[in-house]
Amino acid sequence: MGDYMRFAFMCREKKQGINAKIAVVGAGPAGLAAAGFLVCSGYDVDIYDKLPLPGGLMTFAIPSWRIPPNRVLEGVKELEEKFNVKTIYRTKVYAGEPVHEEGDDFTEKKISIDDLIAQYDLILLATGTWISKIPKMPGVNAKGVTTALEYLYKWKIYEYNLASIKPPYAKKAVVIGGGYSAIDAAEKALKTGAEVHLVYRRTIKEAPAGIYEIERVKREGVSFIELASPLEIIEENGVAVGVKFQKMTLGPPDETGRPKPVPVPGGEFTLEADLVVFATGESPTPPVNPSKAESLGLKLNKDGSIWVNNIMQTSISKIFAAGDVVTGPSRIGPAIRSGLKAARFMHNWFLAKKGKTTTQIGVFA
Amino acid sequence: MSPDPAIKYLRVIDLGKCIGCGACEAACEFIHEKPYIVVYRTSIGLDIPVSCMHCAKAPCIEACPTGAMTRDNSGAVYIEQSKCIGCLACLYACPFGIPELDRATKTATKCNLCMELRKEGLEPACSAICPAQAILFGEDAQVFQLAKKRTAESMARARFEFEFHSSK
Repeated sequence: MGDYMRFAFMCREKKQGINAKIAVVGAGPAGLAAAGFLVCSGYDVDIYDKLPLPGGLMTFAIPSWRIPPNRVLEGVKELEEKFNVKTIYRTKVYAGEPVHEEGDDFTEKKISIDDLIAQYDLILLATGTWISKIPKMPGVNAKGVTTALEYLYKWKIYEYNLASIKPPYAKKAVVIGGGYSAIDAAEKALKTGAEVHLVYRRTIKEAPAGIYEIERVKREGVSFIELASPLEIIEENGVAVGVKFQKMTLGPPDETGRPKPVPVPGGEFTLEADLVVFATGESPTPPVNPSKAESLGLKLNKDGSIWVNNIMQTSISKIFAAGDVVTGPSRIGPAIRSGLKAARFMHNWFLAKKGKTTTQIGVFA
Repeated sequence: MSPDPAIKYLRVIDLGKCIGCGACEAACEFIHEKPYIVVYRTSIGLDIPVSCMHCAKAPCIEACPTGAMTRDNSGAVYIEQSKCIGCLACLYACPFGIPELDRATKTATKCNLCMELRKEGLEPACSAICPAQAILFGEDAQVFQLAKKRTAESMARARFEFEFHSSK
């Protein structure tokens, strides 16, 4: 029973024999799980990440009482020490004009994806979803308006002593959303002294975080308001002072199969707030600007995710992709599944290309 | 019939620590091509991982008419495929609804605590990959101690918070 995540759970030591180098871009759950499989299959693996520590959202967003950071950090240490994985932090792999993402603050070095293509036999892109979506409405650029990912990330880097600036103290926080990041942001604001309203446009029954989690933070003191959707951020001299909401009711199912929230005529109300946190989803962040992607030949989907074929290979044959940058925001489990699958496809594709027979390492019926 | 070999190793899932992320299910599915630990989203929104308990007095072993359901010498309950007739008496006997019928082999299947990995001195994939350390696997005494140590930690924390933060 180890005290850390064993990313290379299918082997005791690095396999010898394959003389090939792989770059994994993104040290989150998908990238780390893939690295674990690849060292067990005998590859030399280098992992790149823009942040100073590995783990992605496991380390930089999810509260440490849910995932103890050391469990991730020690797990990566094992990859380094026992499996010769090289970790290259504070290094952003990117091509084209950069787009601002959360977690960019620590980037000291930029590497173009072309350089990786030249240096490595295979590349895995597992760069996640580091841009938060904020619905269009007046006032979202006011001071005091942020996103759950940015808010949780700022607290994390302060707690790890990676930043000296303490996130701003809030007296009255409004968190908008119904998923896990909304729960975690609301709880963080509450524990740091704020009065917190958590506002969701459907009811507790539809909330992706589930009834249990919402009841748990309610018991801790978060006020949960269901069936309300933000209309505008009220600002004074560029600073948020409140949020105006529209009362909603549940209508017929929408394209996701959940009942669609529809406005209740005349039902408007305002909540005071000096901190407004949008927990309304994140978007895929491939390591390439959309316009550059085209000239590079890396196909992206409409939503910005990386296009892959049925063996998780991108439109550039030596580049594969896995995790949230392919699927959109998911959870740790699906990201790990995706990373493992992509790694096995990479291995089989590489052997087939070399004219060797494929071996199904790690498969026991 | 010879007595069951002694239970030496145990897996215990600490539901208080589980965050429902599904990492165990993903790693299990990768190893076995089908997950033998599955995280279910329940009606109250709490995600619960379900897998074989490897019972000390396993009803499935008792109910199996051919002796296919058996226990290895570390304590894991597993199925000897060649002896299994696919009758699913094990499923009827199991209080947790664990065994499943494999259509291709026409035999029962379930978690064997990653027998192949354990043979190489590794731990089961589910406990190895769990980010929350919710899956305890080890020698029985060690697991029992760790479970109680966690209780002690949480009681201490509750008392600490009551004494120093209750006036908030």
